[in-house]
Amino acid sequence: MKLHVIDYLIIALYFLFVIGIGFLIRRKVKSSQDFLMSGRAIPLWIASLAFISANLGAQEVIGMAASGAKYGIMTSHFYWLGAIPAMLFLGIFMMPFYYGSQARSVPEYLAKRYDEKTRAFNAITFAVMTIFSSGISLYALAKLFEVILGWSFELSIYLAAGIVLIYTFLGGLTSAVYNEVLQFFLIVLGIAPLVYIGLHQAGGWQGVVSRLPDSMTHAWKYVGSAQENPMGVDVWSLALGLGFVLSFGYWCTDFLVVQRAMVAHNMAAAEKTPLIAAFPKMLMPFVVILPGLIAIALMHTPGADYRLPYKPDGVTLDYDMALPSLLAHYYPSGILGVGLTALFASFMSGMAGNVTAFNTVWTYDIYQSYIKPKESDHHYLIMGRVATVFGIVASIATAYLARSFNNIMDFLQLVFGFVNAPLFATFFLGMFWKRTTGHGAFWGLIGGTLAAACTHGLTLAEGKGAWLGANLHSFHSTMGQNFVIAIVAFTSCFVLTAIISLFTKPHPEKQLVGLVYSLTPRPDTGHLRWYRKPVTLAVVVLLLLIILNLIFK
Amino acid sequence: MKKNILDLRFIIGAFFSLIGILLCGYAYFAPSGEVSVHQINWHSGLVYLLFGLLMLFLWFFFPVQSKD
Repeated sequence: MKLHVIDYLIIALYFLFVIGIGFLIRRKVKSSQDFLMSGRAIPLWIASLAFISANLGAQEVIGMAASGAKYGIMTSHFYWLGAIPAMLFLGIFMMPFYYGSQARSVPEYLAKRYDEKTRAFNAITFAVMTIFSSGISLYALAKLFEVILGWSFELSIYLAAGIVLIYTFLGGLTSAVYNEVLQFFLIVLGIAPLVYIGLHQAGGWQGVVSRLPDSMTHAWKYVGSAQENPMGVDVWSLALGLGFVLSFGYWCTDFLVVQRAMVAHNMAAAEKTPLIAAFPKMLMPFVVILPGLIAIALMHTPGADYRLPYKPDGVTLDYDMALPSLLAHYYPSGILGVGLTALFASFMSGMAGNVTAFNTVWTYDIYQSYIKPKESDHHYLIMGRVATVFGIVASIATAYLARSFNNIMDFLQLVFGFVNAPLFATFFLGMFWKRTTGHGAFWGLIGGTLAAACTHGLTLAEGKGAWLGANLHSFHSTMGQNFVIAIVAFTSCFVLTAIISLFTKPHPEKQLVGLVYSLTPRPDTGHLRWYRKPVTLAVVVLLLLIILNLIFK
Repeated sequence: MKKNILDLRFIIGAFFSLIGILLCGYAYFAPSGEVSVHQINWHSGLVYLLFGLLMLFLWFFFPVQSKD
């Protein structure tokens, strides 16, 4: 892929804008709350777009196109089943507790609801995971630009990390949120012309359907049996594993995304943030998954002259190259600069999201709670900035580690998956059962994590797992295995937390007001017109979701 | 009334307007090649320009008061 002056000009213009946003926001940052929580003053539409954009990192943009090419339209389950219902649940049921409790972070909510050890467990694992994810994002960016543009690994790493550092250091979370929204529009508008051109070349949607196997163009038709669908998952593990445990665990408890709703300017906006975000989110498959299907269809379109590259083994298709190879093939200079900038934006968005979540959790939940509790606000503002620099430097180190020891990265990713899987049970019980105790929550989390590890150690999928010396079950795909691991972890955590809670002393009820559903007054929405009520929004989203699923059933 | 340049609609509007102008300009002045190549830049540039102008319109005529 060869770039011309116009492409470099567009990339430079983007860099100028993102850095400029940092400089503009800097003068508004006067306290640690301004830096780490945007002063809780972000308008609804910005919070909503940032909410989905924080998740619109490289894994989503490159990875979902790759999954679209590999699994077809079934990949849309990661949105329509694995995101939207959880986002609605977050908006309607959970945001009133997060926002109403005045917690500054998800771990701080755990401290208020349970105890310090539960908070510490969540804060430390989350802080490590964010650095790890940020580093992986950086590594993926450098590898991709090395392959498609011939840029050196170091150039990509230091350029992207340097720019993210400048704007997050200067403007903190507000700067990251503003840039995430700009990146959202850039990603959508930068890739949309590619979808249009690709569809046109392939003969429209009907042309794509006619050139792909039936199982790749139906979301539900083949989920009855794991052997029949390309994902290798059955309907139960899909619905419970992805549609419930993993999606609710991520969208309702991961501070990276929840933070975007927590910084909305009032409670009503915080509730509506995930609901409004659900509208563009449910349309994202047309931007990030469809290119994958188009890539495969074009390979079988006479006269299209497009091939998806192979991996170095020369046998397996390199699905990760679906989107970049389409960009290289169909975008001429000019719009190519926009497309590449969109890719750059997705990597930087993912990295900035992780770093800003890390600096908040580090400053408030670790440093202020356990290291220096009674310092001035200015001290914590400085610590927030130091944490930002540390987060970026640690991300760069992680990227180099990933380059040298790929197996360690796979291992860490696996371990973090085990830690995340049971988390939703802890929050669910905490919010809806006042009898749940801190001891129950903590040991439930530990037990759920161990149950996840044991399930992986006793089962096998695509040659992975069964490291405990026995294989109790073989899965058709690692994805199916992951869904079942999540179900086991959630169930173990749920049961263990409930049992231990029954034998330990709960907090007095007056301490749980604002933290538990049955003890908290519902937000009064009686004065709102019917179409402005959160429930109405949720119903509209659900109806649209059903229509989309029927169209692509 | 003083306009708030920290309004994100201004930033997004300015960015996409500039991208649109660059692409349209490139499509117009670049050495002639395949017609379809020019059309892609031309059409995309116009869409970006219109989107940018819409954002600037909203920023200019429907201002949100800054807290400062």
